[in-house]
Amino acid sequence: MSLALIAALPFLGALLPGIMIRAGRNTCALATGSVTALALIGLLLHAPAVLQGEVIQTQITWMPLLGLNANFFLDGLGLLFAGLILGIGLLIITYARFYLAKSDPMGQFYTYLLLFQGAMVGIVLSDNILLLLIFWELTSLSSFLLIGYWRHLPEGRQGARMALAVTGMGGLALIGGMLILGHIVGSYELTVILENRELIQQSDLYAPALLLILLGAFTKSAQFPFHFWLPHAMAAPTPVSAYLHSATMVKAGLFLMARLWPVLSGTDLWFWLVAGAGLITMVMGAVIALFKDDLKGLLAFSTVSHLGLITMLLGIGTDVAAVVAVFHIINHATFKAALFMTAGIIDHEAHTRDIKRLGGLRTLMPVTFVLATVASLSMAGIPPLNGFLSKEMMLEQAADVGFFFGLMVTIGAMFSVAYSLRYIVHVFLGPKRDDYPAKPHDPGFGMWVSPALLVVLVVLIGLFPNTIVGPLVATTGGAVIGSTDLPYYSLALWHGFNIALLMSVAAVALGYLVLRFHPLFEELWNDARRPEAKEIFDALIDLCARGADRVTNLLHDGAMTRYLAIFTASAVLFGFAAFMGGTHGSGTRETLPMSVVPIIGWLLIITATIVTLMVHRNRLLSLVMVAVIGLIISIGFAYLSAPDLALTQLSVEVVTVILLLLALHYLPKETPVESTPGRRIRDGAIAGFAGLGVTGLLYAIMTRDHDTISWFHLEQSYPGGGGTNVVNVILVDFRGFDTFGEIIVLGVAALGIYAIIDAALRGPASRRLANFKPDFRRAGDRHPMMMVVATRVILPVALTVGVFIFLRGHNEPGGGFIAGLVVSIALLMQYMASGFTWAQKRQRFDYHAIIAAGIIIAALTGVGSWFYDAPFLSSAFDYYTIPPLSEFELASAIAFDVGVFLTVVGSVMLALAELSRIGRHTSVSVNKDAMDIDPRADTPAAKVEGH
Amino acid sequence: MSIIGEIIISVLLVGAGFFGLVGSFGLLKLDQPMTRLHAPTKATTLGVGGVLIASMLFFLFFAEGITFHELMITLFLFVTAPVVAHFIAKAHLHRNWKPEDLPSPEGSTRWSTYCEPDQPGSGKPDSTEP
Repeated sequence: MSLALIAALPFLGALLPGIMIRAGRNTCALATGSVTALALIGLLLHAPAVLQGEVIQTQITWMPLLGLNANFFLDGLGLLFAGLILGIGLLIITYARFYLAKSDPMGQFYTYLLLFQGAMVGIVLSDNILLLLIFWELTSLSSFLLIGYWRHLPEGRQGARMALAVTGMGGLALIGGMLILGHIVGSYELTVILENRELIQQSDLYAPALLLILLGAFTKSAQFPFHFWLPHAMAAPTPVSAYLHSATMVKAGLFLMARLWPVLSGTDLWFWLVAGAGLITMVMGAVIALFKDDLKGLLAFSTVSHLGLITMLLGIGTDVAAVVAVFHIINHATFKAALFMTAGIIDHEAHTRDIKRLGGLRTLMPVTFVLATVASLSMAGIPPLNGFLSKEMMLEQAADVGFFFGLMVTIGAMFSVAYSLRYIVHVFLGPKRDDYPAKPHDPGFGMWVSPALLVVLVVLIGLFPNTIVGPLVATTGGAVIGSTDLPYYSLALWHGFNIALLMSVAAVALGYLVLRFHPLFEELWNDARRPEAKEIFDALIDLCARGADRVTNLLHDGAMTRYLAIFTASAVLFGFAAFMGGTHGSGTRETLPMSVVPIIGWLLIITATIVTLMVHRNRLLSLVMVAVIGLIISIGFAYLSAPDLALTQLSVEVVTVILLLLALHYLPKETPVESTPGRRIRDGAIAGFAGLGVTGLLYAIMTRDHDTISWFHLEQSYPGGGGTNVVNVILVDFRGFDTFGEIIVLGVAALGIYAIIDAALRGPASRRLANFKPDFRRAGDRHPMMMVVATRVILPVALTVGVFIFLRGHNEPGGGFIAGLVVSIALLMQYMASGFTWAQKRQRFDYHAIIAAGIIIAALTGVGSWFYDAPFLSSAFDYYTIPPLSEFELASAIAFDVGVFLTVVGSVMLALAELSRIGRHTSVSVNKDAMDIDPRADTPAAKVEGH
Repeated sequence: MSIIGEIIISVLLVGAGFFGLVGSFGLLKLDQPMTRLHAPTKATTLGVGGVLIASMLFFLFFAEGITFHELMITLFLFVTAPVVAHFIAKAHLHRNWKPEDLPSPEGSTRWSTYCEPDQPGSGKPDSTEP
């Protein structure tokens, strides 16, 4: 199976759970599981080759100019991580099926989980570091969704926010670091980067690159001083904690360090930063874990501690230490995921995770007891379990570094033993209690099978390390150190009497003693003054938020005048500065003589502008003046031989004025005086300078000859696009992609109006609207017969005009956009004449659907060209003859234009519909008949109905 | 033939120009909005109508033949002008007059624009404010 497909499968599969949940929870889990299983099988098919030392590659060119290609490669390290992600993922999916309550939206959960899984698989398989960065950010986002899955819990939301803030910040740093790395090497391909150790380490940019990359890795893997987000992320459902926070996401940072280990490690800076942070994290995490009463809190800090341990091993920088790190990654993933799942089981059955309220569960939950005990002992490093193997090797490596390292690591191991034993002793042993919040008992098979499988692995790896994981460790270790020449190490339980064994025995013995005297230590711990990471973080975030608020409010306080003034003033200043900074010669082009018509238009537009300024407090009048300006501009377009623009401007003007008038109905008709004379002078000065500046610019452009690309469009319009109307060919063909984007924007804007009004009608605005009193006395006969009849007569004519303009658009002025506006106006007139309620009853298609249909038709037209091996939105045209008709042209662009047409109609009508919704929220009556006074009625009196 | 056509067209154009002038002059001269409403009707019907007929004759006599564009323009003018006039008059009555200052329409009915839309059949004309 192609590597790209393996990475894409979870993303594609993420569509399934949402659909399958309708068929029940089992089907949903099964569908999700089969997606993961399929990807896992695809991966395992590559396993034999990879274990032989081959590197599998899939290359897809995406954006070669940016250096961004969808290149994937699979070596030992990738295989290990992808195997962990998909394998444990499968177990988690099974576990989650039984863990989630009936009220939890399971489809959503599995969708998030698959998105996350895809992002993780993407990280570990990426060959291109830019692609890796994309997946990296996706893990941050999808983990945010997963941590905040129980959105009704404030801890869940806060924890999700904190995780996103910390890992997102790290992600930004990582982007910088990776870009520097790519810059040093001159390639964004990992396989190339990994071969340039010398080049990278001798570069001046090595230190900043390393710092930024480590910032990304440390935040993701919760290394000191960024360790604090992980325990707060424990507000997530337990399957998420078991998956993200033991086996996968927090290991992404480790993966990155391991991946780049061949080129980044070995320097002093690397040693001090990585081994130092790892050591501190390991010891500190272990100490805090011992004093956590929350089961998941304990496990979270123990994870922090173990991640620190692995980081430290990678930081030591010797080949053996790197191999040990790989081995411990495997072991930690197995026992920690199992432990998290048992914690989830206890929470699920006993309804509490507080160690202080538990104890004596041994006989009540025998299966869980066995599983938790084996996994805990492995975490403590007790033989013959797998945790013992890697811990021994780790102790030996640490002891080799120096006495201080050895001592600190032994202390860390001691606390590790203590909290592991605490998980057994304080939860399962001891007397049975009678005050559990619920009656604890073992869960069903479905819930304990996943941890049980992992526990079996824990034991098997411990007993037969070489058989089970020997080849994997060798291949992965080789991939990490970047050579096939592996150092000597031995995966075995018994290495003889050596310093590591001594340290191990000391840690276990002391750890047991620490647990014996736990109450004493706990008292000391609780009395000590400790900095609370969450408070510091909150204060920091608060500070940032307030600072950002202050800056934002300075520039943009919600008053349009403020930011228009700032924007215009800075544009003027920069323009002026640019002008003064360069040289200037006057234009050489001859100016044209003035003729009468433009002067009249010019005078009209100036008059209208001045009048707008004078009457701007009367909103209706100023709207009329603005419309006058718009009309003169469209006449200007017509005069300058741009009939398409003139038609568009004219119809846009009509639609805008009508919609503005309707909106104005619910707003005050006068603008209150808010500005002081000083401010008016300031604003006048800014506007004046800006106007003069634009005039100067236009004058400069018009008095010069310059090259444009118009000749290309004019030349190619007919042979290339099959149309003689160059404007339309540009819109639907040459720049079709722009138009496609624009109609999407238009549709989104219309939906935005819908969303805003929909939300507003539920809030306090709704109550204000209910008490709405029109400013003017309302007229009777709101829908006069004359208007009704006139619009009915015009409707077919207007629709015909719309169709005509649409059809001829490709060769003569017209096209989908204008036709859409014309038809909208024709429909708007019906609504105006007979009222919205009446017209709405005769409207059969939903406006949302019309917008969607428009965009889909446009998109399908574009996709259609793929079937002819042409790029998106290539257009084709040909000439046909059907006997009675003369020869005519069919262009694929016309289908695209249909999409434009529908989107325009839908958007305009949706805006209208929303305005009328405001109207129907007021207590003002609506009509049901076509007209208020119907001459057919017997009584000629006003015939109006209320609500 | 051509000289006759030219004369007819010229007469029509001059006549149309005259009525256009009268309409514009009336718009300035007349002082009441309701009387003013009469002035532009001359300009739109006789003024524009004359130009349109002249244009049709021109194309008939001197160009490619009979055209229908002018008929369309006439149709749109005839449809839109009364509606616009109706709304101007309605708005004027609504904003500047009280019902009691106006003569009553025939029969027992009221001027429709003074009906209260929210309370059908309340019987008395609303007179709260102009």
